[in-house]
Amino acid sequence: MQSDQWQFGDWEEALEHYFREGLTDGLPVVPPTPERVQAMLDYCGLAPGDVLGVDSIRRKQFPAEKVAISAVMAGCLPEYFPVVAAAVSAVCDRAYNFHASSTSTNGIANLVMVSGPYASRIGMNHGVNLMGNGNRANASIGRAINLLKANFYGSVAQEMDKSSIGHPGKYSYCFAEDLETSPWPSLAESKGFHPGASTVTVVAANAPLQLETHGDKEPEGFLTAAAHAMLGLGPSRSDLVLIISQELMAYVAASGWSRERVAGFLYEKTSRPAGEWDDWRRIDRLPPDADRERLIGAVASADRITVVPAGGDAGEFMAIITSWGSSRSVTREIAVPT
Amino acid sequence: MAGIYTLDPRDTSQPSQSVLATRPSSLDGKTLGLLSNNKPHSEDLLRMVANIIGERYGLKEVVEYNKGGHQWPADPSALGDLASRCDVMIHATAE
Repeated sequence: MQSDQWQFGDWEEALEHYFREGLTDGLPVVPPTPERVQAMLDYCGLAPGDVLGVDSIRRKQFPAEKVAISAVMAGCLPEYFPVVAAAVSAVCDRAYNFHASSTSTNGIANLVMVSGPYASRIGMNHGVNLMGNGNRANASIGRAINLLKANFYGSVAQEMDKSSIGHPGKYSYCFAEDLETSPWPSLAESKGFHPGASTVTVVAANAPLQLETHGDKEPEGFLTAAAHAMLGLGPSRSDLVLIISQELMAYVAASGWSRERVAGFLYEKTSRPAGEWDDWRRIDRLPPDADRERLIGAVASADRITVVPAGGDAGEFMAIITSWGSSRSVTREIAVPT
Repeated sequence: MAGIYTLDPRDTSQPSQSVLATRPSSLDGKTLGLLSNNKPHSEDLLRMVANIIGERYGLKEVVEYNKGGHQWPADPSALGDLASRCDVMIHATAE
């Protein structure tokens, strides 16, 4: 391995060194011993110098060794590393614009959504307390990406990372799709991957906005509530994720609505006249000769809305997550070791 | 010696080095380029600076280019064109 090695008397001494050097997110990390890092690499059959991605703007290469170090520090087990590796490849896609989203005052975090059977194989949470604490895989996979962004890529808080407010997802922002109760093909399949594929979808993501609805069993009802919330986040968002929890998904299933129909409904419902967006100061002031009746969606188009069944089994909850600026979500297949 | 070894997570590779362009001793007779990132008022700010420079020096020409957005790098071919036409460039942001 190429990384510098440091020697310490014990783990506590090592931990304090990582704190002192500003190499943690404010919480303790697992000291990345060569043995632990090698175990990550071995699980995926990777050499330390294998490049997992090349950032499209700065042309910075992400060697497997550095990604594995971050995964160890975050608390990952070796079987989580295929997900971390796929997420690194995804954020390097030009459409994601990792560089700009990692430096912007907007303060986004890198959301990692996992779809397909590999999520349950490694024990990821897709249910109760979806984006909360308590699941090692969710917590450490998301954390690995954020530690890599800061320690290796250089997007350090209060330095290159100029987030004005930020949000708690900057510690970790990761969950799995619910494929146990969902009536739909997986998100992976809906993105064009083969049946049975496992994927990660990354989003340069703002904080989740949670919604609670009451009483409506028809999708038109509770999705109208989601549309109302989307209006406060629009217009023309580059990407948007809608998470629908189990009770509401049961109504969606009973009504026979497809994922595409949900997205299409939301797009139509949130397409409002330009003058209205102007009145709410959500766009630059329109010039006097502008067409104030021209419809503008809360999201750029219906296919920019990703609907994900996930969350707990009690309560009629949804959550909305918008992406940063012009960044697009990107999906990559997880190379599952055989 | 007892203890543990750990690895450095940082990128310690040497970044590629760039060299600053030669600075002209005077802007008299030079072509000044203005590169806007399309933030609100960025073109206003650049023109204001260009006007001040124009009062002090006899500029040959001022060339303006708006790269269309602050979130993405400028188009490489546009940058090449500006490099061939301009002696000096100013890039600025504004809100």
